[in-house]
Amino acid sequence: MNPLLPDIAPIPIKERLSLLFVERCHVDVVDGAFVMIDKDGVRTHVPLGGIACLMLEPGVRISHRAVHLAATTGTLLVWVGEAGVRLYSAGQPGGARSDKLLYQAKLALSEQGRLKVVREMYRRRFQEEPPANRSVAQLRGIEGSRVKKSYELLAKQYGVTWRGRRYDADSWDHSDLPNQCISAATSCLYGVCEAAILAAGYAPAIGFIHHGKPLSFVYDIADVYKFDSVVPLAFKIAAQSPTHPDRAVRIACRDLFRERHLLSKIIPDIEEILAVGGEEPPKPPEDGVAPAIPNKQGIGDVGHRT
Amino acid sequence: MLVIVLENAPPRLRGRMAMWLLEIRAGVYVGNYSRKVREMLWRHVEVGLEDEEGNAVMAWKANNEAGFDFMTLGKNRRIPKEVDGAKLISFLPVDNAPDEAL
Repeated sequence: MNPLLPDIAPIPIKERLSLLFVERCHVDVVDGAFVMIDKDGVRTHVPLGGIACLMLEPGVRISHRAVHLAATTGTLLVWVGEAGVRLYSAGQPGGARSDKLLYQAKLALSEQGRLKVVREMYRRRFQEEPPANRSVAQLRGIEGSRVKKSYELLAKQYGVTWRGRRYDADSWDHSDLPNQCISAATSCLYGVCEAAILAAGYAPAIGFIHHGKPLSFVYDIADVYKFDSVVPLAFKIAAQSPTHPDRAVRIACRDLFRERHLLSKIIPDIEEILAVGGEEPPKPPEDGVAPAIPNKQGIGDVGHRT
Repeated sequence: MLVIVLENAPPRLRGRMAMWLLEIRAGVYVGNYSRKVREMLWRHVEVGLEDEEGNAVMAWKANNEAGFDFMTLGKNRRIPKEVDGAKLISFLPVDNAPDEAL
């Protein structure tokens, strides 16, 4: 009898490739490995454990075992529509760490804590201290006008015609080229941010600036990086009017994430931003029941299920 | 940078390696991971080759004079040999080779 191979466990997000897009194929498991099979039967292995976020484009059929494998390696699967606009995600369930969730919720519920976190997000984003004695609503107002201006400025800088940020998630082709590029680029950034937030053990839905969306916290964190990374890049690509804008954006995003070491920075950044809130992480209740079987110690990030 | 070469390995181990590494030629896997992940990968190789005829070698970028290090598992005619602190490889003759051929 052959001995069983050791269990598969997630590895840290920072060691992984940021994104991989898969289109028009059948995704299955062969000899325990993640394989995409095209219509001619050509097999391509995907090193799933070494990818942070796998984007499944239209025309992909994925088997039950393949999704199970993605869950085991802690790889986020994102089903995307045309041009990478996000539809649905699975494969890396969050919420594995109640202490992290309670800490995040405690911060979001505390008026002072939330304001401090929001101010820290703006401070990182604009690289300057936000004006003192402003409420979250006032800070958002300031942010809105700055964002509008920075779009206009970037459009001018790259010589792109800009008629404002307009997009329709249901009909990609109806928006203009710069808007298409921005949508494709931000969905790449959101994918990576979502994977990192889940790996760190936090909830994507509990936001500080954004609220009411399943990915509120993802938008909060992505905004910290967005305007000095993917947005200028989207304008730069729009200016070149490539034949396949979404493909050009994707490749450029991956290069950018690698250059900026985004995957090694993102989880420490999240921790630092939340730490500014000044709340202590909640202690486990003394009268609670600790796990009867101790959790396995993995080499992955804290939010990964091992 | 990390390279693992498997010879005569069972399909389930080869499939397992493809979970994190790229199989660029039959049995030749490359990737770029930290020490912890490398040790995890090697544990899979050790278990996967237990009770099997196969053999494996893993080489990775290291901060030493050579710039890399390697380790082996299982029977192979090439075996590591230490010479004055440097790791080299000895190539063993075929077991049934007649003496005069040496």
